[in-house]
Amino acid sequence: MDYTMEDTQNSAPNAHEASKLGASAQRNDTQGVTKRLQSELMQLMVSPSPGISAFPDADGNLLSWTATITGPSETPYEGLTFKLSFSFPNNYPYSPPTVLFKTPIYHPNVDFSGRICLDILRDKWSAVYNVQNVLLSLQSLLGEPNNASPLNAQAAELWDTDQDEYKRHVLARHRDIEDIE
Amino acid sequence: MSLSDIHRNQFDPLNHFHPREELVLGFYSQPLPSAAFVNHGVPQLSSALYTPAYNMNALSPEEMERYQELSNKFEPELPGPLVSHKQSTDAIAVEYANADPAFATKTNALAVTHPQSRIMKGDGNCGWRAVAFGYFENLFNFRDLIQAQRELVRIKSLNTLLDQVGQQEHLYEIFVDATEEVFGQIVGAIERGERDDSFLVDLFNDEYNSNAIITHFRLLTSAWMKLNPHRYQAFLSMPLDQYCATRIETVKTEIDEVGLQGLVDGVIEASGLTVEILYLDRSEGEVVTSHVLSPPRTGLGAIRLLYRPGHYDLLYQVEPALNMQPVVNFQYAMSSDYSSWGTNELAFDVNSSLMAIPNLMMDTSFGLAHALPQPPSDPYRVSPPQEVYQPPVHTPPPPPTTIASPQPPIRLTGPPPIMSALPPRSNDGPQIRLNPLVMKPNLSHSLPVTAPFKNSPYNQAHFQNQDFEPIHWEPHESRK
Repeated sequence: MDYTMEDTQNSAPNAHEASKLGASAQRNDTQGVTKRLQSELMQLMVSPSPGISAFPDADGNLLSWTATITGPSETPYEGLTFKLSFSFPNNYPYSPPTVLFKTPIYHPNVDFSGRICLDILRDKWSAVYNVQNVLLSLQSLLGEPNNASPLNAQAAELWDTDQDEYKRHVLARHRDIEDIE
Repeated sequence: MSLSDIHRNQFDPLNHFHPREELVLGFYSQPLPSAAFVNHGVPQLSSALYTPAYNMNALSPEEMERYQELSNKFEPELPGPLVSHKQSTDAIAVEYANADPAFATKTNALAVTHPQSRIMKGDGNCGWRAVAFGYFENLFNFRDLIQAQRELVRIKSLNTLLDQVGQQEHLYEIFVDATEEVFGQIVGAIERGERDDSFLVDLFNDEYNSNAIITHFRLLTSAWMKLNPHRYQAFLSMPLDQYCATRIETVKTEIDEVGLQGLVDGVIEASGLTVEILYLDRSEGEVVTSHVLSPPRTGLGAIRLLYRPGHYDLLYQVEPALNMQPVVNFQYAMSSDYSSWGTNELAFDVNSSLMAIPNLMMDTSFGLAHALPQPPSDPYRVSPPQEVYQPPVHTPPPPPTTIASPQPPIRLTGPPPIMSALPPRSNDGPQIRLNPLVMKPNLSHSLPVTAPFKNSPYNQAHFQNQDFEPIHWEPHESRK
């Protein structure tokens, strides 16, 4: 949690005076982002969803988080845990966060650098989506890949033709969370 | 991206790029709009990058994919503020001066009927922003504290819609807060007696704030549509829930006709404001095509949107007519259209002897008369508002045949039945008791108070009437 940001928020004279001054506009945005992310964090802690977790990085920057999801049961990812990074833009939630798989993953819609192809993280982003929605969407993407527009064409093909071989690739690529960084 | 990095690497024979340099190369491996090159500031390096040392085919499919995606996501820097100050509509006319003649004619006419406009930034939110801004601007222009408070209460009460469709309060509250902040500032400005709406323009030009307000309006619209699916589903090519998720609740999807109707129905209409779209296109006609999205009401303000394909701006009519929209044609109401007026509500004291005069108070310069429809079945119908937009200055006086002077009431076989319901006349001569609306100070300047003078003997307008015949005095006939 970033307490310095909180102090900024408390000491600001008031929102509309700040917005009138061009120089203060940035601070106003930061307040909005901070408030929103704090509220999301609170929600995640008060009502956690099974199989997902997320928390701001320890460096005190509320704009970058680390999250985990567990693979859904009855999918090739069952029992595996994946680590992800969230990087929030300054105008969050009016632009989507950048989300990357930090754990190597073999999946049709994720490339080898961990970049994800998911519409809600791009042009279908809505300001009411949040970390929790995104993680739940990613969790379901694991079991239901979108093979129409794959980033990993081989994975897309194997998913449709040879589930056993697919699972071998998944397990071969996976690393335990403790082994990352 | 640093240009020096590229220089350092451009002779690297092994084609080992850092990810960010790959991006430059990638732009050249795909057919891209030239703007993308300019934006990344590298065209001057193109010759260096095209040297044979680079093997374009070395890029893996996923790298290509990524470059394609980068080019797809490219957004040009748009100039101008999110919401401009009011400016002359002449600027729009100048923009189209050399365009298709249909545009030139229509924009010139528009500059007369709607002399001011407000330009919205075309960033994918312009329609939403125009309606939201127009809504708050009207509230400020009313200078009515009670109404502003009432609207605030109403908008906040719409939170129940959000709850009903499962939006989470901890997520939507920041959007509601932003809207409430606008109300607070409007109330404050009214209390201080401010006339200048700059504070509102500033509020909407703070992008974060502006986005929050627009998101609030988007969510309310989405919730309203989901709760009233029967009104919208038939107009959609996809399930309503999917439409709302991908077109309404998103952060930068332009509003379409169905969404705009949902926004007006769910959020704006209960305020009493009229929402009207003026379409600027190459359709036939000399003026923009008007479409009113909500039932028009007199006395209240209106949000007027200028629509050009893919873009919305705000328009402002000629000032004196501001509170007259839609224009009620008093002449026609007096002469015939009693049934729709409700004589009990409007204490019009109609003098039957005045009724007998054809074209009483007909004022062709008012710009209405020749626009009246003349269906034979109902020649007295009050002009619907979409036919009002005739540019009075540019249009030549209408030929007398088009003046709606069908059957002068005197030729009717009998008086309209409703006449008998009117109170009996005194015989003291003509009396006109004015409509109570005339007493409203803010209306007095906009009523056609000069109309009675058109009946003066000095007015020569009657010469234009087809049925006009000069009276010849015959000395043999005695006066009646």
